[in-house]
Amino acid sequence: MIVENTQTQMRKGILEYCILSIIAKGETYASDIIAELKKAQLLVVEGTLYPLLTRLKNNGLLTYNWVESTSGPPRKYYVLADEGRIVLEQLDKTWKELEFAVHIAIGDRIPPATEQPTA
Amino acid sequence: MNKTIIININGIVFHIEEDAYEILKNYMTDVKRHFSNSADSLEITTDIENRVAEMFNELLAAENKQVIVEQDVHTIIEQMGRVEDFENLEDETASANTQYTDAPGTRKLFRDPDDHLVSGVCAGIANYFDIQPLWIRLAFALSFFFAGSGLLLYIILWIVIPQAATRTDRMAMKGQKLNLQGFKDNLEEELSSVRNHLNNLHQEARPAIYKMRDFIGDLLMHLNLFFMGAGKIIVKIIGFAVLLVFFGFAIALIAMLVAIIGFHSGPQGLFPFSIIANEHADRIYFVAFVAAFIPVVTIIIVIITALFNTRTINRSIATTLLVVWLCSLGLLIGLAVNVASHFRSTGKISQVTNLKATPDNVYYLKLNDVKYLTHDDSLRLNVKGNFNGMIIKNDDNEYDEPRNVNINIQRSDVSHPVLIETFIAQGSDDADALLNARNTTYVFLQQDSVIKFDDKLRRLENAAWHDEHLDITLQIPLNAKVIIDQDLDNRINLDGVNIGDCKNLNKQDNATSATFIMMDNGLQCKIDTVVTVKTKAQIDSARRVENAKTIARLQAQVDSARTADSLQKKK
Repeated sequence: MIVENTQTQMRKGILEYCILSIIAKGETYASDIIAELKKAQLLVVEGTLYPLLTRLKNNGLLTYNWVESTSGPPRKYYVLADEGRIVLEQLDKTWKELEFAVHIAIGDRIPPATEQPTA
Repeated sequence: MNKTIIININGIVFHIEEDAYEILKNYMTDVKRHFSNSADSLEITTDIENRVAEMFNELLAAENKQVIVEQDVHTIIEQMGRVEDFENLEDETASANTQYTDAPGTRKLFRDPDDHLVSGVCAGIANYFDIQPLWIRLAFALSFFFAGSGLLLYIILWIVIPQAATRTDRMAMKGQKLNLQGFKDNLEEELSSVRNHLNNLHQEARPAIYKMRDFIGDLLMHLNLFFMGAGKIIVKIIGFAVLLVFFGFAIALIAMLVAIIGFHSGPQGLFPFSIIANEHADRIYFVAFVAAFIPVVTIIIVIITALFNTRTINRSIATTLLVVWLCSLGLLIGLAVNVASHFRSTGKISQVTNLKATPDNVYYLKLNDVKYLTHDDSLRLNVKGNFNGMIIKNDDNEYDEPRNVNINIQRSDVSHPVLIETFIAQGSDDADALLNARNTTYVFLQQDSVIKFDDKLRRLENAAWHDEHLDITLQIPLNAKVIIDQDLDNRINLDGVNIGDCKNLNKQDNATSATFIMMDNGLQCKIDTVVTVKTKAQIDSARRVENAKTIARLQAQVDSARTADSLQKKK
């Protein structure tokens, strides 16, 4: 239980950072974000993403454009807003510090993560 | 072969099998409920719906089919995630953005309807502090012994604390989170408790105290039903009685109006009504009738409405009645002010009469019992013809006006009695008041030693009452004996004279008069003990003689009877 809780906390902490980072690469569709997050094993279901995106949008970090789709209703493509860019830069800095801190703390106890971590 | 339904998701049409539709619908309902506390619920659910539609489209295109089946719905739900999956992430992030009516964990005070002994107050408090209800109940039971203060507190709490009526209330009462998971937990808890309840009921394993409570509850419920039924009948009977009373009022009012205005009979001469000047009388009576009649009629209508569940009175009629009533009330007040204005000033007229002195210095004060007849009365009754040489006695006992004659007996400075009459009356101004005082008649007579007073001051026939009254000061010479009739005291205010007490002092309780003597310090009761004692002794001796005679006569009769009896026996 405690393990799960800590894992959840850790994931939550970096989830928004990851989402912003993915969107920062360019206009992104929600299912693309999910695909990336699934690959990173941060999120497993799409339903969870929508409330997060809505919140980030409401906070002014994201905007979206409607794009016509061949396979259904128009899609929302998310882009980073100016404010989002500033926040992301700050988060980048924080992440560097954290990475360093965690790296120091772990030492060479575990090998560095590969592209596909063993689950 | 399966039945399909056509559904529309944000403008895109799908054919979906019935079973699949049910699952999808339930899922979307869950999702909507999950996000219902969020400010952005509409946007989020629309996003999800759009994504679902897109995924359906992709599935249909990939498998080249036209109808969505159950398996497809399960697939997209897997991908989108179940509501429980959302929970994990939402728990804390949500609190920053979504609006929970209550932060999780806070408890609200409610009366607990599921675990109540009486009203659930104790169980509610126990829930609030998360302890066993038993302790709260024990505390309350103990506090009842402190002059019942606990009982009072309990009743107040019963009134003040609301009962947990809805599931949300009950969850708030137990501090459960107000979300889907919480609802589910709560429901499961309730189901299990109901299950236990049923089991216990079956096994008769409930504590005796609960059974007792249920029994009392049932008993009270049945009693309540009984009294409700009986109460309705009693209320109807009372209502009917009140209705009859008010009908009586209404009829009496109409009868009075007809009597007064129609036949000019009634209380015109009687005291409170005699204030009213004749020119206003009919108007005042009519207005007063309307002012009294409308409320009575209104009450009758209200009672009828309540008793027979008929329609209430038409709004316009009610308004009209109200306006008429207010008008009549206003008019009545106006007329009353008008009448009252005739009492603004006071007028006084004094008149001094010297009476003849009597040689033995004894004066009898009596009530004039000769009926007072005005000139008109004399003509009407033809006194000269019919009652010539007779005296018409004043036998009417009507107290139609307050006593308006006062007699104050004082010591005279001269050797003969002096009578000072002061006529007082009210009027709209000084002249009017004096005129009113002047327009009165008072009769007193002196017949040697007897001075007779009329019992009232009379005003002109048909004139309105203006508080006319007469103050008589009778001045009696020093050492004069004054014998005052009881009748006089009955009808006239005698200042400073108490006939009853003086008769006691005179030792003549049954006398019709009392004897006074004018002393230096005013009129004093004459105490004459010797005469009374003597009289009493005479009466006693006379009675003794009479008794002796009776006994002797009876004895003689008995003796003669005996003789006759013995003679018969000898034969």
